[in-house]
Amino acid sequence: MEAEVLLRRLWMEDFRNHASTELTFPRGLTVVTGANGEGKTNILEAIGYLAALKSFRGAAVDVMVREGRSSAVLRAELESGERRRLIEAQLVVGGRSRVQVDRQPLKRARDLLGVLRVVVFSPDDLVLIKGGPGERRRFLDDVLVSLRPRNVALRADLERILRQRNTLLRQAGARPDPMTLGTLDVWDEKLAEVGAALVAARRELTERLLPHVRAHYGVLARTDAHIELVYESLWEEQGLAAALRAAREEDLRRRVTTVGPHRDELVVTLGGLPARSHGSQGEQRSLVLALRLATRELITEEVGSTPVVLLDDVLSELDGERARRLMGCLTAAQTILTSATGTLPPGTEPAAFYEVVNGTVSTPRPRGE
Amino acid sequence: MSQAYEGPIQDLIDELGRLPGIGPKSAQRLAFHLLKVPAADAMRLADAISEVKRRVSFCSRCFNVSEHEICALCSDSRREDGVICVVEEPRDVVALERTGEFRGRYHVLQGALNPLEGVGPDRLKVKELLARLDPESITEVIICTNPNIEGEATAMYLGRLLKPLGVAVSRLASGLPVGGDLEYADELTLGRAIEQRRSLD
Repeated sequence: MEAEVLLRRLWMEDFRNHASTELTFPRGLTVVTGANGEGKTNILEAIGYLAALKSFRGAAVDVMVREGRSSAVLRAELESGERRRLIEAQLVVGGRSRVQVDRQPLKRARDLLGVLRVVVFSPDDLVLIKGGPGERRRFLDDVLVSLRPRNVALRADLERILRQRNTLLRQAGARPDPMTLGTLDVWDEKLAEVGAALVAARRELTERLLPHVRAHYGVLARTDAHIELVYESLWEEQGLAAALRAAREEDLRRRVTTVGPHRDELVVTLGGLPARSHGSQGEQRSLVLALRLATRELITEEVGSTPVVLLDDVLSELDGERARRLMGCLTAAQTILTSATGTLPPGTEPAAFYEVVNGTVSTPRPRGE
Repeated sequence: MSQAYEGPIQDLIDELGRLPGIGPKSAQRLAFHLLKVPAADAMRLADAISEVKRRVSFCSRCFNVSEHEICALCSDSRREDGVICVVEEPRDVVALERTGEFRGRYHVLQGALNPLEGVGPDRLKVKELLARLDPESITEVIICTNPNIEGEATAMYLGRLLKPLGVAVSRLASGLPVGGDLEYADELTLGRAIEQRRSLD
């Protein structure tokens, strides 16, 4: 259990269209406004990068570094109880990111994971419900890393093993020699071991998310429609090792691994029907919000500190009632919100208000703490 | 980037760029550095490379680096026979020798299973390892490949080959750095150390 972690200050140098930006954040709600393309979301992306060491927009490092520069620096001051911490990441074009905590360089960038935790609500989130299974697997894995940074290795190991195994399958040809089959056995065993561990973690997470998703959906949509989250693996009954054995011939023929955690699915149902195909736009939107809110709740429960919520232009997608209910769920701790219009649901009081114009931040209506 | 210069300088950049861990930018930097240093300094490097290729090769028994047909470790009669420690690279032999804990023989695989880099068992000194078991009356093999995906896969592969042959096979334990503080250990190592904990006797 750790004390509540607050993001107090953020510096961005040569990040996207921000040459040099400094922001302070109070507890409660911060609103960042500005026209499209001025650099609002870049601020959230910077915070997200310090938390997860990747862009929630899926951008590569060389895209995030300002045009014509070779590196960007992100720095944040965190406060937890009496303690202040300075975290820092340098994003290098064509190189590895370097990371520091309190001016001490960390040996591996991934040791920064877990120092700052965020939950991002993005306008693209609808793909969580409407998109393919890969979107939902990525969602689960991202939450697993956020809960326990150690999981980042599990995820990387699985990807690495799959790449090795698929490469071997491509090299093997239709009738592989016994030596190749022997090495395939080894990769199968590694895949079974790491895959089982990852899937056990995904299943446990699914179970723990469910009650929170149900509760938040009820609040947001004001219905008692029954929600289920079902983690589906086709290999579940026989176990991954046996499933890989059974699929060996198929894998050799198609030169790709056809069973495993990378083919699993998280099925979200609403009133007994898959939300992906049967949910209305409104229901899907509420489900996505409920998934994100559930994540926030679960991290709070497990880690003891509420993650910082980043709302990227989400309110404009919601009708007034739902926007109000969403903001009602986010009263405690810290929320940073971008909005093109700056209009907030009635009853929402921002503690800070910024305006971004062409990568420069000003405070038109200071209300700070 | 590839064909920016002409003649010898581009040749040098290309050659340096083929070295492991050297990208095009580093290759260029190194090439221009060599161009700037006094000729004697550059020639010393050239000589060192040609000398090492002329005089040093691999031990025909364990495939460690050696100036002779059989390396010093293989021909040292004070070392224990019957136990072989299998490593990926010659530098691992040096690391293990520094511990002074192991007094048996070595076998250098010269790599690890890595389909992405085109390395299968035939590219490793695996056959050569199996061929040593009988003539040297090997009773125990300690597999000391790296604790990463490729090293683990290689260990598993060797384990499957060796166990049916009636030799004892063990794997290097992974755990905490000695003399360090628990709080500074990375989560992964600490997690592994907990998984592989042993009872106090």
